[in-house]
Order: sequence, then structure tokens, then C-alpha cells
Amino acid sequence: VTDVEDHHHPRAASVVELRARALEALLAERGLVSGNAIDAVVELYENDVGPQNGAKVVAHAWVDDAYRARLMNDANLAIAELGFGGAEGDNMAVVANTPTVHNMVVCTLCSCYPWPVLGLPPTWYKSPPYRARAVSEPRTVLREFGVDLDQDVMIRVWDSSAEVRYLVLPMRPPNTEGWSENRLAAIVNRDCMIGTALPQPVEPEIS
Amino acid sequence: MDGVHDMGGMHGFGPVVRPGVELPYHERWEPRIFALSALVGIEGLGAGPGRATREEMDPAHYLAASYYERWLYSAERRLLRKGTIVSGDVEEMMERLAAGEAMPEHSDAAMAERILGDLRSVYPMEAVPDDARFEPGERVRVKRMHPVGHTRCPRYVRGVTGQVEAIRGADRLPDRAVYGEEVAPEAVYSVAFSSEELWGPSDESAWVVLVDLWESYLEAV
Repeated sequence: VTDVEDHHHPRAASVVELRARALEALLAERGLVSGNAIDAVVELYENDVGPQNGAKVVAHAWVDDAYRARLMNDANLAIAELGFGGAEGDNMAVVANTPTVHNMVVCTLCSCYPWPVLGLPPTWYKSPPYRARAVSEPRTVLREFGVDLDQDVMIRVWDSSAEVRYLVLPMRPPNTEGWSENRLAAIVNRDCMIGTALPQPVEPEIS
Repeated sequence: MDGVHDMGGMHGFGPVVRPGVELPYHERWEPRIFALSALVGIEGLGAGPGRATREEMDPAHYLAASYYERWLYSAERRLLRKGTIVSGDVEEMMERLAAGEAMPEHSDAAMAERILGDLRSVYPMEAVPDDARFEPGERVRVKRMHPVGHTRCPRYVRGVTGQVEAIRGADRLPDRAVYGEEVAPEAVYSVAFSSEELWGPSDESAWVVLVDLWESYLEAV
């Protein structure tokens, strides 16, 4: 086993990693794949495309009812208004939480996920336990995530089995009146938009 | 294909584990193989489907492999199928790198532009067809089937009756399209299933599962 110098720490490279490096090396040597094209894709998903995009969509929908209506009616167009769109976001749909409905998203067959607004999926989203259980015991799964819903809240689980990609629009928490979109976006994390978390409650401000 | 990738409702995997910071990946090679896989597609270096190829992995290997190991597997299979690489090429390069050879470098700015352009493009489904067989509100049943090849009809909904919630658009049936067959787009429906119809009695209060299904998967009730 070879020692590979990582950005963060030196460690032994796995056989899979060595194989991945060899495949890249092979295609580079033949001039078929360029290192800068690979770098460009990695940088795109590390810097430009991630849950910060989805949080902007949510915050904008919270402050602008007309935008929210456009988002629910044609998510592709409304998301594109904010400059987001691309691979694995070809057919976006937004599903809104209400006091009586909670939405959550899964892909039981692989790991379909709305990349343009949430980036690449987290490990747990791709893991067998989540893919197996989100559809068959969603309330128990949500409890493991720390989300304890009232019994009268209907859970709707969206299995991304075709080319539609779902974004959950969480409810705006109380005590956020007058907040800027930036401040609102900061309380919307990735899991809120998958439906496995709720925005953190906000304490009333004392003036 | 009724493989282990079709996980909806399976038991025995334990709780959902979320260790520490939830990054999409943990090692540098992972996003690089993701990017390489995208390039294999866009640059026409591979043949055959990606997703369906990952489903063909040996079941024990599929379950043991990380997400990006599966992408490595499908990239390599597609390159082999096209003849871009041949059996033994990767092992030979692994030996050369292990012997201390430097990683070969290749730079191509136009290729970087092409892949970024593609990743920023959207290819929406076609509009809802006039001849869609079912309409929102209608009860439909998922056909009993046991396809050998790729399918996007999960096992856990087969034979189950649900209600059409929306028509999403028109798309080519993946069961045939991923193998390069010319097929006409057909309606894709969001079908809502009650937890009772899917799983029978449960300790949890009732919920709904919505699955996007091509018209070919459905029959009238």
C-alpha cells in the first residue's frame, strides 16, 4: 500500500483510490481527459453549487409571495430567476410544508438529488438505511434526525424514481418578521430542504 | 432489474448514521472520479448507461462499495465497453504509479468549458402529452412485473393501487431507452400511495409515499 499525501493528513491509500487514480492517469496519458476539466467540475460543486443556493430560493419565497407562487407553479423557471440550474435539476418540483403536511425526499433506487440547489448528496442520503426506511417508517427515521412531528401532521415522502428532483420548502419560523433574505437564508440548512430537519426555532427579540 | 439497489422497505440496515460533518465526500479521489465519470459521458469515451451499469454490480460488492466506488465501477465498465480502454490497462497503470512514476498530466481548457457548459444546462422532460391515459385524481395500479433489465419501477409499489396526483411531463421509458432503443416519450405520473396499501398495518400513524412512474408501469383499476 502506497502512502498518499492528502490535503489534510497523510494516510494509506485504499485499493479503490489507487484504481481511481490509475484510471485518471490512463485517460490523461492518452489525452482523453484533462486534469483542468476535472478540477473545474470539482471546484464547481465545492464553491458554486451547494445548499447555499437552495437556502436563497427558500428565503426569497418566504419574503415574496409572488415568487413563492411562481416557485410552486414552475420551479425550474423560478429557480433559474435566481441564477441556479443545471445537471440533475432538469425537472425541479418544490413541495411546501404546512402546519399539517411535512414533506421529505428520498431516492430508494439510487441517490437522485437536486444538485443545482443542494449540491452533491450527503453520505447518509445515499446510505442503505435511509433509502430503505424513509418510505417504510418515515416517522421513526425523522425521530432519529431529531424531528418529532405531531401525530396529526401528514408525512408525504417523495421517492425520486424518475427525472423529477424535489426541494422541500420549509415553513418560515415565527419571530423572523422583518429579517433580511440573507439572515433568513442562514437558518435554512441542507437537511431542512430534504425534509429531515426543521429550521431552528427563533427566540422573540426583546426590544 | 430486481437487485439490491432497489432498497425501499428492506430491513436489517440499522439506523441512519450521520457521522460528524456531513460532507458529500471524504477523500479527494471521490469528487475526481465523479468528474471523470461525467467526462466519460460528455466526451463520448464510454458506451452504455451509467446508472444501469452500477446496478449490474455483484450484490455483495454493491452493498460493500461506497457511492463513489460505484461510479468508478461504472466509468471503467463503460470505457471497456466502448473499447477506449482494454482489460488490464488500469492494472498496468496502477503498477506504474506504484513503482513511482509521476501522474501523467493533460491540459485542455476547451474540455473544461464543455463539461461546465453541460453541467449548467438543463434538459427538461417534454410537455404532458395529449394522449396521456390517466388523469389526476384517477386510481391506478402498478403492474406486476419482474424485469431482467434496468427499470425505474421500485419493487415495493408493484401490484399496489394508488392515486394519480399529477402528470409531470413526458419522458422515454428508461427500461428501453437506456439500452439505446428508439422509444417515444410517454406520460410520467406522480402516484400517491397510502402507507396502509404499501405496507399494511404499522405502528406509525398513516403517511403517503409519492412515486414518479412512467405510464407503461401502470394499469387501470
